[in-house]
Amino acid sequence: MKIHGDNENLYEVTAYTEDSLGLLYSISGIFARRSLDIYKLLCYPSAIEGVFKIKVYVWATPDLIRQAVLQIEKKVDVIKAYFEIDSQRSKREVAEVKDILRNREELKTN
Amino acid sequence: MTGAEILLESLIAQGAETVFGYPGGQIMPVYDKLYDYGDRIRHILVRHEQGAVHAAQGYARIKGAPGVVMVTSGPGATNALTGIADALIDSTPLVVIAGQVPNGALGTDAFQETDYIGLTAPITKWNYQIRSAEDVAHAVARAFYIAGSGRPGPVVLDMTKDAQVGIAEYVPAKCDFIRSYQPCPVPDDSILDRAARMIDAAERPLVVFGHGVMLSGAEKELAAFLSKGDIPAGSTLLGLSCLDSDNPHFIGMVGMHGNLAPNVMTQQCDLLIAVGMRFDDRVTGTLSSYACQAKKIHIDIDPAELDKLVRVDLPVLGDARYVLSELTARIREVKRPEWMMRPIMEASVEKHKVIDPELHPAGGMLKQGEVVAAVAEACGGNAVIVTDVGQHQMSAARYSRFHNSRSMITSGGLGTMGFGLPAAIGAKIAAPERTVCLFVGDGGIQMTIQELGTIMQEGTGVKIVLLDNNWLGNVRQWQELFFGSRYSFTRMMNPDYSAIAAAYGIAYKRVEKRGELASAVRQMFETDGAFLLDVHVEEAFNVFPMIPPGKSVDQIMLNETDWI
Ligand SMILES: Cc1ncc(C[n+]2csc(CCOP(=O)(O)OP(=O)(O)O)c2C)c(N)n1
Repeated sequence: MKIHGDNENLYEVTAYTEDSLGLLYSISGIFARRSLDIYKLLCYPSAIEGVFKIKVYVWATPDLIRQAVLQIEKKVDVIKAYFEIDSQRSKREVAEVKDILRNREELKTN
Repeated sequence: MTGAEILLESLIAQGAETVFGYPGGQIMPVYDKLYDYGDRIRHILVRHEQGAVHAAQGYARIKGAPGVVMVTSGPGATNALTGIADALIDSTPLVVIAGQVPNGALGTDAFQETDYIGLTAPITKWNYQIRSAEDVAHAVARAFYIAGSGRPGPVVLDMTKDAQVGIAEYVPAKCDFIRSYQPCPVPDDSILDRAARMIDAAERPLVVFGHGVMLSGAEKELAAFLSKGDIPAGSTLLGLSCLDSDNPHFIGMVGMHGNLAPNVMTQQCDLLIAVGMRFDDRVTGTLSSYACQAKKIHIDIDPAELDKLVRVDLPVLGDARYVLSELTARIREVKRPEWMMRPIMEASVEKHKVIDPELHPAGGMLKQGEVVAAVAEACGGNAVIVTDVGQHQMSAARYSRFHNSRSMITSGGLGTMGFGLPAAIGAKIAAPERTVCLFVGDGGIQMTIQELGTIMQEGTGVKIVLLDNNWLGNVRQWQELFFGSRYSFTRMMNPDYSAIAAAYGIAYKRVEKRGELASAVRQMFETDGAFLLDVHVEEAFNVFPMIPPGKSVDQIMLNETDWI
């Protein structure tokens, strides 16, 4: 069993994504490159139609998790990614992602 | 139409009139249709798929638009991987179209099947498997949009045989919006105001700019910003040629073999403004001591680059062109005569200790810098300079001169030996009216030497300057300086390059003596078509200045014994 440093926490990373072949692989690869062990990984449809939700639980330092999540968010098919130590924010997230999509669709039509 | 025809129509619709490729079983339906499109799509048959990708990179770097590559599945596709990885790290837009086995054979270890989506996931900006002809037009439009927008990069389309032979109606597709993808973030006015205030408050600001300036077309905006703020600026390797070498604010190249002024001043400035660069370790030296004294602003289009390696006081997420023009409008016009004297002082130390001994040695064999300087002189700083990777790359970067942007093509982030020759071919095809001059080592040329066949077949007029030292010079230098002169497998026997050039019908000249150099360079430029100038340079040569690994950017070796 891996020993975790004082500065490491178990983070819950949530990515809202399009339905895209290979994306799960890409996302897990971002953690693997930085030697961040994935403790649990879930993938399921989100409350928003056509949008998937990938949840990854990893042990990491605050700095590494921030950098990894930015790299996840950079993926073309990722709409938004978050990280949290606890998992209390999922309702807020859904509302926010809906907002993001609405704003972007509006920008497109303007 | 078949999916193959839709692919070709879609390429034409994207303005992609040149394709670098190599055929094979699983891409044959596309090649079969390509036979009929000869008047609308120019296909360059390379000699190895790695060459196709590097050539497309050279093409893209000149054009500022995606280069297109076409390869077969399996080994053809895996041969392309090095170039794709190179393009990702150096932000070069590519659309790589790879054949793939039929849908029904996917995942069965069929002949020449590889998991290309899996293989390319970490080295592409986006990849996508096309499994039906209906999907082709849309996928191509999306691929071009993604490759060329925001921070550019390589995109792979893995096209199964079913997608190529299937029949669908061709409906031209356009793509300029993807809801999950925000390529051009715009910074808030308040951030720009804060940046302007920081610049106005600084006494010793320094700009370090990179490839991002070129990618966003911000060359004029950068020059205007530097002029109004009277700010000295150093370039990364990939930023070279964004600013005219004669621009009074340009103080040279940063990094391991860069100029003294920008490296030393990095440790003296009170504000470091990084524009379109990513703090590569070859630029920063030891991170823990990098510009610690300075406040820092980092302007970049890629949010994942901000605060990745260097913690900055103000990250500015946005396109360099927009941000620089906004900042120019917001900053005060000032003069900083004292600060602007520093680079002159540093440059004079460098001239005395490094440049003069390199360019005007008392005797001995030719030095690399002399050759580069002779080329720069002969083409008046107007050529496109392409390099391979090694000592000659650093010499070319140090001693070339640039009066036009998009004139330095080199493999920076990945440092890929073998890049140079095919990249030069691609550059010349993209800019036939310009002189394209490649500097390459005897190691690197042999990594993709088969592309001389492409030059022969296409009649590509690339000028090849081979800096021939019978060593893997760069590694030899490290062995001498840091591994107790234990030259482990870096001595390299060379073939007879005159025979090789003759075999490919390429003009050739060998130079060994200083007195022959200028006329040989002239002869090379006066000769129509390709030319191989084989210059025998000093063997036990070291590129200086050098910031050794583990040192900070102001701990610089000027030669084997002197440090600043
Ligand atoms: C594909 C690849 N393999 C190995 C290296 C490591 N490497 C960097 S520079 C160099 C030597 C280059 O020798 P040469 O092409 O003769 O150029 P020189 O340094 O002598 O100018 C090597 C082996 C590399 N950068 N790329």
